[in-house]
Amino acid sequence: MEFKPYPFEAKHYDARLPALENGADAQRHAVTIVGGGPVGLSVALGLARHGIPSVLIEADSSVCHGSRAICISRRSLEIIERLGALDGFLRTGLPWSGGRSYYRDAEVLHFTMPHDDNQKLPPMVNLAQYHIEQFLLDAAERHAELIDIRWQTRVAGIEHRADGATLHLTSPAGDYALHTGWVVASDGGRSTLRDALGLKLQGTSYEGRYVIVDILLRSDRPTERLAYFDPPCNPGSTVLVHKQPDDVWRIDYQLRDGEDGEAAVRPENVMPRVQALLDMMGERGPWSPVWITLYKANALTLDRYRHGRVLFAGDAAHLVPIFGVRGANSGIDDADNLAWKLAFVVRGVASEGLLDTYSDERVFATHENLAYGTKSTEFMAPPSFAFDLMRTAVLGLAGTHPAVRSLINPRQTSAITYAESPLNGAGADGFDAGPVPGAVLPDCPVEIVTGGAPRAGHLTDLTGPRFTVLAFSEDGSVPAGLAALEEAFARREVALRVAGIGRSSGRGALDRTGRLFPMYGARPRTVYLVRPDGHVAARWHGPAPAEVAAAIDRILQA
Amino acid sequence: MTDADLDIVYTTLCHTMTQAGEANGPLFLARFALLAIERMGDRDGALRLIGEAAEAFRTVG
Repeated sequence: MEFKPYPFEAKHYDARLPALENGADAQRHAVTIVGGGPVGLSVALGLARHGIPSVLIEADSSVCHGSRAICISRRSLEIIERLGALDGFLRTGLPWSGGRSYYRDAEVLHFTMPHDDNQKLPPMVNLAQYHIEQFLLDAAERHAELIDIRWQTRVAGIEHRADGATLHLTSPAGDYALHTGWVVASDGGRSTLRDALGLKLQGTSYEGRYVIVDILLRSDRPTERLAYFDPPCNPGSTVLVHKQPDDVWRIDYQLRDGEDGEAAVRPENVMPRVQALLDMMGERGPWSPVWITLYKANALTLDRYRHGRVLFAGDAAHLVPIFGVRGANSGIDDADNLAWKLAFVVRGVASEGLLDTYSDERVFATHENLAYGTKSTEFMAPPSFAFDLMRTAVLGLAGTHPAVRSLINPRQTSAITYAESPLNGAGADGFDAGPVPGAVLPDCPVEIVTGGAPRAGHLTDLTGPRFTVLAFSEDGSVPAGLAALEEAFARREVALRVAGIGRSSGRGALDRTGRLFPMYGARPRTVYLVRPDGHVAARWHGPAPAEVAAAIDRILQA
Repeated sequence: MTDADLDIVYTTLCHTMTQAGEANGPLFLARFALLAIERMGDRDGALRLIGEAAEAFRTVG
C-alpha cells in the first residue's frame, strides 16, 4: 500500500546571520526563545502583545512534520485568541464536545465535555500540529518588528550568568554568539538546554506502548473521541480514533505485552490492523497511510522551571501522557503564564520574584496534569495485572451499571486553578459562587457598551494584556476612587483597565442575560481583579480602592 | 460517593492488589468481598450483587 504525504505544504526558510561584531550578534537581546514549536511561538506572541521584542531560535527550516499534538482545548483557544491567531484554528480545526467508548462490540460510555451557551469557544478542536504551528507562525510574522525568527539555527552551548546568558549558535549560514538577558527554553522533550544545564526530568515512564498511525480517509463520521477496548478487530488491544481536518484520521492502538515494537511499526504489520478497524467501524472508503510512529507514556517533570536566567516551558520542562491531551495544551498554558511575567520584569515594572511564581504556578499545574494524566494512562495502558483486571471488570459492568462509567471517562484536560499561588489575594472573601483567586475567568455573554454601539460579546472580551478590574454595579458606573487606579498605575507604566459591569443598565458592559451576577456571586460593589493571563488574582465585596492597588502591588513585588 | 471518591477507591484498590502480587490477586479480592459483604449487612442485596457479578460468565442458551 502506497504512503501519501500530509495534505499540507510547509514553507521552508533559509538560515541567515544577523549583523555581527567580533563573531557575536551586534545587538544584545532582552529575551531569546529556543525552540519554535507551539510553546516558543506562543511565548514570542505573548511578549509581543506587551511590546517586548524577542529572538526565536528554531533548529528546523519549517513548521513541524508528522503526528504530534492533535487536540486544542478551550483554554488554549482562549489564549490563542489573545495572541491574535484564533481565526485559523476555528476555520480549519474540527470542533467536538464528546466521545464514545466501546467494550468489545457494545457502547459503554457516551461522554460530553462541559459545554453550554455561555461559552464563546468549543471545548476542543482537532487539528494537526503543523496547522497549530502555522497559524501561530502567521501571527508571529505579522509582528516581524518584534519577533525575529532564526531558522535552521541550533544551540551548541550556553554560558549562564547572573545577569543573562551567551548562547553559542550554529547554522548553515555560519556560527555566532548571542548575548541575551533571558532565555526561554521551549526546545522540546529532548531539550538541549536542559542537558546543557545538567538538569534531569524526574518521574515515571510507563511500559505500555501505542502505535500511532495517521491515514487519509474520506468519511462523514462526526468528530468525537472514539475508544475501543478489546475490540473484535484487535482483541486484547485498546484503540483510539480521532478525526482531523483534511480527511486525516489519527489512530492509536496499544501493543500487547511482549510484542516487538520495531516489528509492530512495519507497514506490513500495521496495515492489516488498520483495515480490520475500518471494517469493524463500517468505513468502506479507500484509504492511505501517511505516518507511523511508536509512543510510550511518560509522566516526568523538572522540579523547578526557573533556573537563574533560563526559564523552561512545555515539553522541555515536563512530559505528560498523551491520554487526556495535556501535552501541547499545558505548554500553551506555560507560555501564557510566562509571557506577561517576563514582559513585566524586562520592562522593570515588576521584581524578578514574579518569575519564581511562574515556576511555582506551573510546577503545581504539572502535578495536577500528571495526576489526571496518570489516571488516564492507568486505564488506557494498565501498568499491572491489577489495573488490567479491574479495567476488564469496569468495562464488563459499565453497560448495565452506569455508576462505574465515570471510571472510563478520559478526563480530558481542563483549566488549572492556581489554588496555592503566592499571587492570590487574601482568602475568606464571603463569596458563595464565582471563580476563586487563582482560577480562570469562566466565560459568560455580556453586552459590551463601551466604544460605540452596544454589541453582543463575552466577559473575557473585557480583558487584555493588562490587569483588568471588573467593577460590578447596578448601572455600570465605576466609583471615582477605582477609576483613578487606571491613571495611578499608568504613571508607573503598568496597564490597568477598570471595566464597569451593570446589572440593569450599562456604561462598560451590561449583564443582559442576568446570568453573570449569580455566576460570579456578584452584587453591586463587587470587584474582581484579573491578571493579564485571565486568572483571578483577588475579589472583594466593596473594597477600598487602596485594597485593590495593594493586591496589584503584591503581584509586582512578588 | 462522588465520581472523584470512586476514582480514589478504585485506584487504591488497584495499587494495593498490585503490591499483593498477581498470585494473591484472587485471595485479596475474596477478602475484600467478604469485608464488603459484612459492611453491607444486607443479605438480599449481597445475594443480588453475587448474581450480577456472575452475569459475565453465564452461558447463553
